[in-house]
Amino acid sequence: MALRIQQPGLMTTVQDEGRSDGYRVGMPPAGAMDKFAYRIANGLVGNPDGLAVLEATYLGPQVEFTEDTVFAVTGADMPATLNGEPLDAWASHTARAGDVLAFGFLKSGARAYVAVAGGIDVKPVLGSRSTYTLCGMGGFEGRPLVAGDLLSVGSGVDGTPGRRMDRDLVPAVSGAVELRVVVGLASYRVEPDSLAAFFETDWSVTPDANRVGYRYRGGSVEWVPRTQPRGAGSDPANVVDIGYPVGSIQIPGGSEPIALLNDAVTGGGYATIGTIISADLSVVGQSKTGDVTRFVPVSLEGALAARRDAAVRLERARASFSS
Amino acid sequence: MSDDLSVQAPFPGVFYRKPDPESPEFVQVGDDVQADTVVGLIEVMKMFQEITAGVAGKIVSFEVENEGAVSAGQVLLVVR
Amino acid sequence: MSASTAPAGTLYSHGGDEWIVVQLDEAMSLDVNLKAQVITRALADLDLPGVREICLSNASYMVRLDPDVVNPAALVEQLKEIEAQSTDFRSITLSTRIVDIPVLFEDEWTAATVKRFRDRHQRPDLTDLEFGAELNGFSTTDDFIDAMVSAPALISMIGFVPTVPWGYQLVPEDRQIEVPKYVRPRTFTPERAFGWGGAFSAIYPVDGAGGYQLFGLCPAPIVQPAQTLPDFRDSYTFPRPGDLFNYRKIERPEFDEVRARVEEGTFAYRIEELEFTPADWFARPDETVASMKELLYGA
Repeated sequence: MALRIQQPGLMTTVQDEGRSDGYRVGMPPAGAMDKFAYRIANGLVGNPDGLAVLEATYLGPQVEFTEDTVFAVTGADMPATLNGEPLDAWASHTARAGDVLAFGFLKSGARAYVAVAGGIDVKPVLGSRSTYTLCGMGGFEGRPLVAGDLLSVGSGVDGTPGRRMDRDLVPAVSGAVELRVVVGLASYRVEPDSLAAFFETDWSVTPDANRVGYRYRGGSVEWVPRTQPRGAGSDPANVVDIGYPVGSIQIPGGSEPIALLNDAVTGGGYATIGTIISADLSVVGQSKTGDVTRFVPVSLEGALAARRDAAVRLERARASFSS
Repeated sequence: MSDDLSVQAPFPGVFYRKPDPESPEFVQVGDDVQADTVVGLIEVMKMFQEITAGVAGKIVSFEVENEGAVSAGQVLLVVR
Repeated sequence: MSASTAPAGTLYSHGGDEWIVVQLDEAMSLDVNLKAQVITRALADLDLPGVREICLSNASYMVRLDPDVVNPAALVEQLKEIEAQSTDFRSITLSTRIVDIPVLFEDEWTAATVKRFRDRHQRPDLTDLEFGAELNGFSTTDDFIDAMVSAPALISMIGFVPTVPWGYQLVPEDRQIEVPKYVRPRTFTPERAFGWGGAFSAIYPVDGAGGYQLFGLCPAPIVQPAQTLPDFRDSYTFPRPGDLFNYRKIERPEFDEVRARVEEGTFAYRIEELEFTPADWFARPDETVASMKELLYGA
C-alpha cells in the first residue's frame, strides 16, 4: 500500500508526535504543529497513537491511493475532495485503488492533516518519523514532498471507515488569535511600560512564519539600558547565549518578535520575554500569515489549568467518535 | 459582469507581479492568458509559488499591487 | 508580571508549563559554566520523575519537563535545593575527556565563503582572520592562530542547530579572544567550518546560515547520522557538554589524509579520559593546560 504524490501542495511533510530526546544536543522535537488535529486524524482511521501523517501547510497536496484503504482529513478548513466529490473533514472515509484526494483553497486555519490506516511508513530517525527540514533529517528523505514521491503505508491496521467526530468539537479558528504566555526569562530586560504595551499590541503574522518560528510585526519594545554583561554582545537585545524553550518569544532588534515552534533553534543570544503555553501551540500552528495575534499573560497555574482543559477536550473529541 | 473570472490567492503571503525586481511583469492588463499562464508569485515561508491563471481569457484588471500582502482567497486579478 | 529589574542572583523562570530556564548569571565566565555543569550533572544523577531533558548552556541551564508528572513550581524548589547543596565549583572534579580537533586554518573553502560575504562584514577590506587578529591585538594572523590553539576549549553549550559545540577557552580572562558576529548573517557556511563569535569558538556541523567569524575548516565531522564511524556508533553526535576540545593547527596533507580516513570509515578522534579539577587550573592555568596536552599527545 502506498500514496503517490501527484502534486505536493506548498509544504507537505511527514509528521508524528515528534522527538522527545535531543534538545540538549540541539535537536528540536519537530512533529505535528497542531497536535489536536493530528491525534484526531489518527484516531478516526483507527490508528494507535503516534503513527505518522501528512501535514499540509496553506495548500493541500493531490494524492493518489495505490490500494484500497481508510483515510481521514482534519485541521485547517481546506475543502477536500475524493475524485472531485466533496468530502467531510473530521471523518474517516474509504478510498479505492486509484482514487485521488485533492484540496480546494484554504478557508481558515493553516495546516491540514491526512491520516491513513497504518500510518505513513518512513524509517524512524531518533525515535520519530517527523521531518526536520532545516537539517534534512527524518520524514521522507528529510524534505517536503515533491510530485512523484511514493510513500509506503504501514500494515497491521484494518482501518475504521465512517467514523466522525462531533462537529461541535471542531476547534473554532478565526483570523484573530489569542496566545497565552507565561512571562519571564529575560522579561526584566524590557521597560515595564513597554512590556505592558507588548500585551496590548495587535501583532500580525508576517510571511516569515514556518515550522521553525513565526515572526510578527506591529510594534516594538524598549530595552532597559545597561552595560552589556561579559560575553553577551553589544546589542541590547542580546544576552549570553541561553536555551530557547519551544514556544519562547524573542525580539531581535526590539521589533518583530519571533515565537519559536516545533523546529526551533534550541538556543542563542537573543533575550526571551516569555513562552507560549503548551495548550496554545496548536493554535499557533493554525494561525497564518496576516492573522492578528494578541499575546495574553497567564500565570503558571493558568497554564497548567489550560493544559488540563486541552486534555479533556481531546478525550471528549475521541469519545464523540460515531460511525 | 457575469463573464468576469477572478484569479484568487490560494494561500496568504506577498504577491509579486515580477519574477525578480529587474525583470518585467509576468503579464499586463490586456494580455491574453491561458489556464497555465503564470500571472505572478506568492511568497510565504521564504518560498515562492508560481500562480497560474487557471482560466483562459484577457486580463481586465489587477486587484492587488506588486508586493502587496494578500490573504487566502483574495482576488488577485480579473480575467474576461 | 515580572518586575523589570535585573536579577541579583540566580533567576528561576518558567518557560510556559513545559520548560524551566535557570539563569545563573547574566555574564559569562568559566566559574558560572562550571556551576551549570555541576548542577546539570547532579540533576541527571537524581533521575527525577517528569524531567525529560536537561540542557546545559553557557551561564544557564534549561529543563524540559512533563507537567503531567511533576508540578513545575515544585521542580523549581528541587532545583534550588540542588543549587544550594553545591557551592565550591572550582574544587569539584569533572570526569570528562580531552579531544584532538585538527583544524586547517585559512583553507580555500572558508576563504571563498569569507570573500563571498564581505559586504556583510564590519571590515570588508580584511579577512575574518586578519580582523580577529587586529581586534585582539595580534600583529600577525599566525600569532592569532597560535593563541586559539594554545589551550583547549571547554564545551559550555551544545545547540542552536544539532550538535554545534560552543567552546570557552581555558585561558585567563585577560587572554580571552573576543570577536563580534557578522553585521548581517551569511546565508551560507561550509560544513565543518571552524569559527568564533563573542567569546566562543564553534564548529558548524552542516552547511547553513551563520554569523561567526570563519577561520578554518575541520577535516573530521562532529555529526554523522549514518553512524558508520567508530566515534558515532553510540550516538550520531560527537560533542558532549563538558568535553575539552583541543584545536590543533594542521597543514593540507594531514587534512587530506584525515578526509580520506573519514571517507573509508576508519577515522577515529584522538581522545583521552580526564579528571578535570578546575581549582588546579585557576591556581596554575598554563601548567594545567600543559599537562592536559601531555596526556593527549604524550610528553
